[in-house]
Amino acid sequence: MNRLSRKRILSITLTLLALWCVAVLLSVNIGSVSIPLGTSLILLKDHLLGRPGTGTPAETILFAVRLPRVLLGSLVGAALASAGTAFQSLLRNPLADPYVLGVSTGASMGTILYSMAASAGIGVLGGGIAYGRPLAAFVGAVLTVLAVYAIGGGDGRTGEGSQRLLLAGIVLASFLSSINVFLLTSTNQADLRGIFYWLIGDLSRPADASMYAVAGVVLVGCATLFLFSHSLNLISMGEEDAMALGTEVRRVKISVYIVASLITGAVVSVSGPIAYIGLICPHMGRMMFGADNRILFPAVFLFGAIFTVLADTVARTVLSPAELPIGVITALCGAPLFIYLLRRRGVGI
Amino acid sequence: MNAPETPMLEARGISFSYAGPVVRDVSLSLSAGSITGIIGPNGSGKTTFVRILDGLLRPSTGEVLLWGDQPLAGMKRKEIARHIAMVPQNGGIWHYQSVFQFAMQGRSPHLSLLGFESSRDEEIARSALEMTQLTHLQEMRASNISGGERQRLLLARAFAQQAEILLLDEFTANLDINYQVELMRLVHRITRERGLATLVISHEINLLAAFCDRISLMAEGRIFCQGPAQEIITRENLNDLFGLDFSVRSLAGGALEVLPVIHKEVSL
Repeated sequence: MNRLSRKRILSITLTLLALWCVAVLLSVNIGSVSIPLGTSLILLKDHLLGRPGTGTPAETILFAVRLPRVLLGSLVGAALASAGTAFQSLLRNPLADPYVLGVSTGASMGTILYSMAASAGIGVLGGGIAYGRPLAAFVGAVLTVLAVYAIGGGDGRTGEGSQRLLLAGIVLASFLSSINVFLLTSTNQADLRGIFYWLIGDLSRPADASMYAVAGVVLVGCATLFLFSHSLNLISMGEEDAMALGTEVRRVKISVYIVASLITGAVVSVSGPIAYIGLICPHMGRMMFGADNRILFPAVFLFGAIFTVLADTVARTVLSPAELPIGVITALCGAPLFIYLLRRRGVGI
Repeated sequence: MNAPETPMLEARGISFSYAGPVVRDVSLSLSAGSITGIIGPNGSGKTTFVRILDGLLRPSTGEVLLWGDQPLAGMKRKEIARHIAMVPQNGGIWHYQSVFQFAMQGRSPHLSLLGFESSRDEEIARSALEMTQLTHLQEMRASNISGGERQRLLLARAFAQQAEILLLDEFTANLDINYQVELMRLVHRITRERGLATLVISHEINLLAAFCDRISLMAEGRIFCQGPAQEIITRENLNDLFGLDFSVRSLAGGALEVLPVIHKEVSL
């Protein structure tokens, strides 16, 4: 085994990028109205070259409905998968992910409280502007992480600490999701079905201006996680060893926690807490590309995007014209897949 | 006590407490090209002390100085790791990595942010594996090698750090006597060749007596005597330390033979 080469990272990244393009093209063509591949390619080319649109129904469906949704799905998948990778490395536990740790649920709670405050006309911070929702979700996510730490934080030198954290996360997540359901049902919201879908994880909500903020946070956040990848490699060998080898363990841990919570909060504010993406994508990435975080972060970023785009395509076509929330599909194919992987070769970090 | 040259690493009046005091007013200095041993019963504060020496814990009083005048407290972890290599007790979590990759971790303090290793780093890691006779295993998963090979690998990783100070915390524990001697010979040779300042914590009194230039006896958080091995390893001192009878003999060639004299019943 030779040292890790930049070439290997680049070739894996480019391959996955190409696969992502294929998945996007596939996904925008499939649906209750199918658009032939040739048509969508021409439309895309015209759009990129800045030519005026033709106003056909296919064009409207492509640019107003499917493409934004596919891009949103990619963003959400990339973010959740990256956050999952970060949490698993940090806690040295293969079961960690934003959903299990309660971060996603905390973020949903932030979003729900923000929406309730906004609809009650309370001028909260960021009210009216696009950043309000993601900001509220981030605050929810960070507060949850702090609570999980306060409840389950132990001595970082032993493995026991990370198990306690996970347990605390699981308990807090179920507690918070009950509160979420309580809050939502008690407010007589008109769109109960939409809210129900969002709670399971749903990408059908039309994109709005907050998308740009979310995209910015996710891209910068994931790039930051990549910068910590070597430190995380060492930390996953044990914190004492990592420190002895020159890692500022405390600083890295706090930064990674904040960044992973930030990107989780940002995407949960638009898509709801989608289960399993953050758990499964990192493991599949490890099985394909090895456990070195320097490869894993870029690979999982793209793999999460591909996985989510494909899952969402299934979600909106399998019962067409009715749509399922994507969370149903990720859980439906995620759980058996996970069990299979677990039985086949065990899951390591 | 009075080493003529500037010590490489020096602890001055170190105290540390968790719930109660663990290390009390300990001073010790390590000089280039020599091995210092610490002997003491379980719970005497040895591991805590060595963690303080590596800057992993901050002492509540006292300070640790590099080259006589650089306080460790103000240094970044990465900088410390370029000068001090430590083999922690129960070090290393063994999973996916290959033996070579594990040794390569030792290069971490010398790398830039993303940790891409150069071909020189690779060379250094390979020569560390060669020194510890692990070259033939370098492609194996680190989790699949034997206990003795793991200890050698931990040592290889520390050598790859190319630090001038080496702290070894019970690194021969769980190894058979043959391995213990082999590893100590290696540490002794490298210490002399590279002019390292080496600290070894061990329960193997004979091993330390044979290889250490100086020995400190530690009990209840205090070093109660230190000096050349021949002067320190005495019946009286060991009896004070462990509360057991010992037989200490000087053999031909200056080697010491230390044996505990074990009685079934407590003698009155």
